[in-house]
Amino acid sequence: MPTTPDDPSNGVLIRRLLALSWQYRRQCLTALTLGAGTLLLELTALGLVGLGIDMIQYHADSGITPISGWLGAQLINEWSPMAAVTIISAAVIGAATLYALLWYGAMISEARLVQDIIVRLRSEVYDKLQRLSFRFFDSHESGSIINRVTADVQAVRGFVDRVIIEGLGLLLALLFYLIYMLNIHAALTLACLATTPLIWVGVVTFTRIVRPAYKRSRTLADDMVLRLSESVQGIHVVKGFARQESEISKFQQASLAVRDQQQWIFWRVSTFVPAITFLTHLNHIVLLGYGGYLVIQDQLPLGSGLIVFAGILQRLSTRVSDISNIANSVQRSLTGAARVFEVLDTPIEIASTTQTKPLPNGMLGVRLDNVEFGYKEDQPVLHSVNLEVQPGQCIALLGATGSGKSTLLSLIPRFYDVTDGQVYVGGVDVRELDLDELRRSIGTVFQENFLFSNTVAANIAFGHPEVDRKQIKHAARIAAIHDFITQLPDGYDTIIGENGVDLSGGQRQRLAIARAVLLNPSIMLLDDPTAGVDPQTEHQILTAMDQAIAGRTTIVITNRLSTLRWADRIAVIDRGRIVQVGSHDQLMAASNWYREMAQLQGAQANATVTPAGTKGSDYE
Amino acid sequence: MSNPIQAIPTGLTHVRRGDTREAHQRPLELGLIVRLMRYTRPYAAKRNWLLMFVLFRALQLPLLAALFAAVIDGPIEQRLPWGLALGTAAYALLALSEVVVLHFRMRLAMELGEAVVNDIRNEIFTHLQRMPMSFFNKTKLGRIISRITSDANNVRLGVQEVLFVCLVQGGQMFVAAAMMLWRDQLLFLLLLTLSPVVWAINRYFRPRLSTAHRNVQESFSRVTATLAESVNGIRVTQGFVRQDVNARMFRDLIADHSEYHLIAQKMHGAFLPLLDLNGHVFAAALLVVGGYRVLAPGVDSSIGDLVYYFFLANLFFGPIVAIGRQYNNAMTAMAGAERVFGLLDTPPQWSDPPDAVTLPRIQGRVEFDRVGFEYEPGRPVLNDINFVVQPGQTIALVGHTGSGKTTLINLIARFYLPTTGTLLIDKHDTRKINGKSLHRQMGIVLQTNFLFTGTVMDNIRYGRPDANDEQVIEAARQLDCADLIEALPDGFDTSVGERGSSLSLGQRQLVCFTRAMLADPRILILDEATSAVDSVTEARVQRSLTSLLQGRTSFVVAHRLSTIRDADQVLVLDHGQIIERGTHDQLIADSGMYAKLYRQFVRGIDLS
Ligand SMILES: Nc1ncnc2c1ncn2[C@@H]1O[C@H](COP(=O)(O)OP(=O)(O)OP(=O)(O)O)[C@@H](O)[C@H]1O
Ligand SMILES: Nc1ncnc2c1ncn2[C@@H]1O[C@H](COP(=O)(O)OP(=O)(O)OP(=O)(O)O)[C@@H](O)[C@H]1O
Ligand SMILES: [Mg+2]
Repeated sequence: MPTTPDDPSNGVLIRRLLALSWQYRRQCLTALTLGAGTLLLELTALGLVGLGIDMIQYHADSGITPISGWLGAQLINEWSPMAAVTIISAAVIGAATLYALLWYGAMISEARLVQDIIVRLRSEVYDKLQRLSFRFFDSHESGSIINRVTADVQAVRGFVDRVIIEGLGLLLALLFYLIYMLNIHAALTLACLATTPLIWVGVVTFTRIVRPAYKRSRTLADDMVLRLSESVQGIHVVKGFARQESEISKFQQASLAVRDQQQWIFWRVSTFVPAITFLTHLNHIVLLGYGGYLVIQDQLPLGSGLIVFAGILQRLSTRVSDISNIANSVQRSLTGAARVFEVLDTPIEIASTTQTKPLPNGMLGVRLDNVEFGYKEDQPVLHSVNLEVQPGQCIALLGATGSGKSTLLSLIPRFYDVTDGQVYVGGVDVRELDLDELRRSIGTVFQENFLFSNTVAANIAFGHPEVDRKQIKHAARIAAIHDFITQLPDGYDTIIGENGVDLSGGQRQRLAIARAVLLNPSIMLLDDPTAGVDPQTEHQILTAMDQAIAGRTTIVITNRLSTLRWADRIAVIDRGRIVQVGSHDQLMAASNWYREMAQLQGAQANATVTPAGTKGSDYE
Repeated sequence: MSNPIQAIPTGLTHVRRGDTREAHQRPLELGLIVRLMRYTRPYAAKRNWLLMFVLFRALQLPLLAALFAAVIDGPIEQRLPWGLALGTAAYALLALSEVVVLHFRMRLAMELGEAVVNDIRNEIFTHLQRMPMSFFNKTKLGRIISRITSDANNVRLGVQEVLFVCLVQGGQMFVAAAMMLWRDQLLFLLLLTLSPVVWAINRYFRPRLSTAHRNVQESFSRVTATLAESVNGIRVTQGFVRQDVNARMFRDLIADHSEYHLIAQKMHGAFLPLLDLNGHVFAAALLVVGGYRVLAPGVDSSIGDLVYYFFLANLFFGPIVAIGRQYNNAMTAMAGAERVFGLLDTPPQWSDPPDAVTLPRIQGRVEFDRVGFEYEPGRPVLNDINFVVQPGQTIALVGHTGSGKTTLINLIARFYLPTTGTLLIDKHDTRKINGKSLHRQMGIVLQTNFLFTGTVMDNIRYGRPDANDEQVIEAARQLDCADLIEALPDGFDTSVGERGSSLSLGQRQLVCFTRAMLADPRILILDEATSAVDSVTEARVQRSLTSLLQGRTSFVVAHRLSTIRDADQVLVLDHGQIIERGTHDQLIADSGMYAKLYRQFVRGIDLS
């Protein structure tokens, strides 16, 4: 059973996100170092401007305000006032240029980091998705899966660049500013920054409040995408029943639900951010009152004291308003992370064991031994199924709708694992074989075949992209589709629509047959391969396939008597049990259901083919 | 700058760079902005309040800075403790009001953005519902999804942030510039000398940023499209062990997307620091000029003025960077808007004419008069189809695969219009009727069956939304398949899974069939409706169908020819033409193509 980790706690998620970030520590460090460099240079430029003002003031009041620092003293002693000011301003430009360069570097390295993470996470999630067993896809809607690879991955990487880098950058800035300010005036610094720790409290509270809302909003978004994708995929049903209006109103509801949920969040965010902003205002107020007082008392220089402080606090406040973004990002990342990790953590239910046995060479037989299976635990679909197909033999499965034929077939390539009993291929339990090797030796024609929006040739060569045109054509001939393909505008290079929308049903089905034939597999599983084709084409396919299946072990499901021709034996399935196995004649004698089925198709047909009963035709 | 990305990765799906349908509008074009802003019209009150708050803030922010500077310039410079206290209190009050305004400014902006995005999503969806079938054949699902998700979201930023932030910041710049001009014209001129630089930077980056952002979104839409296809085709992928190949291709695709992202970020990374540098250059220049004026004898200028100027400079240059940051958002939003509008502006190839006739209850007469049809120009699929169906008749369509049976059905169902000739339903040309009034009287079971996520009950009810549970069950009973549905784990309340994947194909077909019958149609279309159903069950359904079809016109496509022997008329199609017509018996007697098909059918089932 797929274990859906219900709501991992914040702590667990954060720890995992930190572990993820840790893998990028070198790049994070580069970004942070560059960030720190820009900070230093920014402060330098700021300090230089302050020094310039002080210098001017010093000369203007003829030395009443003292100039502190080594640089200031040097400049006063060595240079004329104007020259000193010019030098300082040149230094400002120099520092600012360096600052710009470093900033550029920081942005690039951060962008690189972000893209590295995204590419890796996306491929990882995608890769994992492709390996998850069918059960996962049975129980997860495709809209939600798509969102996980796109939006949720974005949210997760947000943790690294928005939370870690920005957060650490903020702390670093705070530290720098703190040191710088403490150097100028300790008491003023402490007074100014007294309320800053409150930010932390705010962030934590906010986080706690909005987390569930974010989660819910992701679910609602999934729901909306599902509505969209279903109404697009089922557009012919929507149009056919004239239900456009109701689809529109259903979508509007889904979209509105997203919007309403967002409104709720907006209220919280727009209360949280101004509250934090006010804290930064408080810093300024304290600076103005207390700092101004200090200046009046001559305990603080104006330029390199008050003005530099104001400049720093100004920068701090822009960074602090980033905090609210950080808090928001944390939320988003956590919600996204829970969803991404759910995929990454879902155990691959069906995978090769560590010690696999090799598949024997030559023809492979298939044997089912007391197989029990159900999609859901309490709803068995197959009951103690025993079936043996000798190497090279062909067996046909027949049975009523929903009796479990397709299900039985899906156990052989291990799309699902049996609940009880064993499935043997080539005499080895399939669970002991290498999964890829097993599946490569089986060619499957599904009951419903998906074609990709690619060229015809690429679709046929799906299982072996590297084969040459000759083999592709050969497979197409066997599936009786070659002639059709050559009539297409670009022949084998014609691009077909998503899921083959621009082909007829029979054409799709024959392409799927060609795709399976091309594999040249030892075992062929055909689920109703001729359901959508006319009798003549069916005859063509059957004749061509006769050679193709010669020497292969074949299991074919069919509702048509005509396809039974291949079969060495026929097995009848009824409500998940194999009730009869035998040849056509044996079954005609032994199975009521089979006889009825055969008569419905054959007996009646035989009756009318002799043009005897001319019913009164009232045509025209 | 040369494009580092050489080839578009292809493989899993065919990737086309750029959709032909993509509109090519210039970025930041006024028309685009005006059009976006038009979406705020239903929320005019909200928008106007927002504008008010924004303007308020545009004043408040410089005022805060000016007050700060004024306190330094006044009470502090002149050493007046009481003045200082007063000034501080005023500053505190102003700060408080700023915070309150900020709350409303944020909330209204976000609400407005979300409201607009919600409207855009609905508009896209409504537009999609109007598109004819051919559109859906050509457009990948993932591309449509990305319009409603990522592209619409990008537009949001434009509505809720760009304009208003730019207004606030621009207002702030304006106020700062005005104050400078008022205090000191010379310094203002100094400021003006920098504006060509800003202009040049802007000019250089704008087209480049815009292309980069377009590419980012286009490549993302490719990612989504491939993803959607991979998820839908996952069973085939696993069956054919293609995981590694697909993963490699997908990685190429996202690497491609990332590459574009990097290009955009690099551009942005150069753009912002360059803008910021201007402020520093100005500060340096200010030092020299201001210093000269303070220090040079004969010029009357105080240090206070200079300090004041530094504040104003901050006020002026701070917004430049802020606006520069918004530039990224603006470009993203514009690229998103372009794509959204590109879809909205794709007119449906055809739609009901304005004076369309709403059909009354129809009799069910169908006439094809020299009908020809092609999906793609130049490749006719149906030629010169002529036939008349009287109300209540059952018509069987027979022919090789690909001969055009489904296409003919598509025309009757009015999913497509004939390319040439006319198709009349009860004497009404299908081109001139209201599609919904026709579809309400039709029951259609198509070859490609589709169920919606939900229960069996919901899905059957789709045929007639006002039917109650009893009626749904009764419909299944009349078709003689109620017991099969009841045998499902939860009977009629069994959930069918996405696209019906937790039912067997035959079960799905029965549900679709019942859905069509529940609609109580005048015209019934059955395109291989029971192709996956076993013969015994099929025979049961067929038996009950005989009475259900009384008085309804019906079209049946089936390859198991045993199922269509009772049709009033059999039309044999070959390469898009009707080559034979008549009853089963007549056609057998004529020993033409039908007889050949039938012989093949009989020979096939003769197993002895
Ligand atoms: N949407 C489309 N765009 C372009 N060509 C199409 C489209 N749909 C079908 N065709 C082509 O039109 C021809 C007739 O297709 P149609 O689906 O009508 O055949 P059919 O008789 O129903 O066959 P089948 O028995 O296999 O279902 C085919 O050659 C097919 O490739
Ligand atoms: N993914 C699934 N999850 C849950 N139940 C399922 C799933 N797939 C099939 N079932 C159920 O299992 C039973 C057997 O289905 P299966 O597809 O094997 O039938 P089948 O014999 O192939 O029928 P058909 O002839 O209609 O294709 C059915 O009752 C069906 O509802
Ligand atoms: Mg099946």
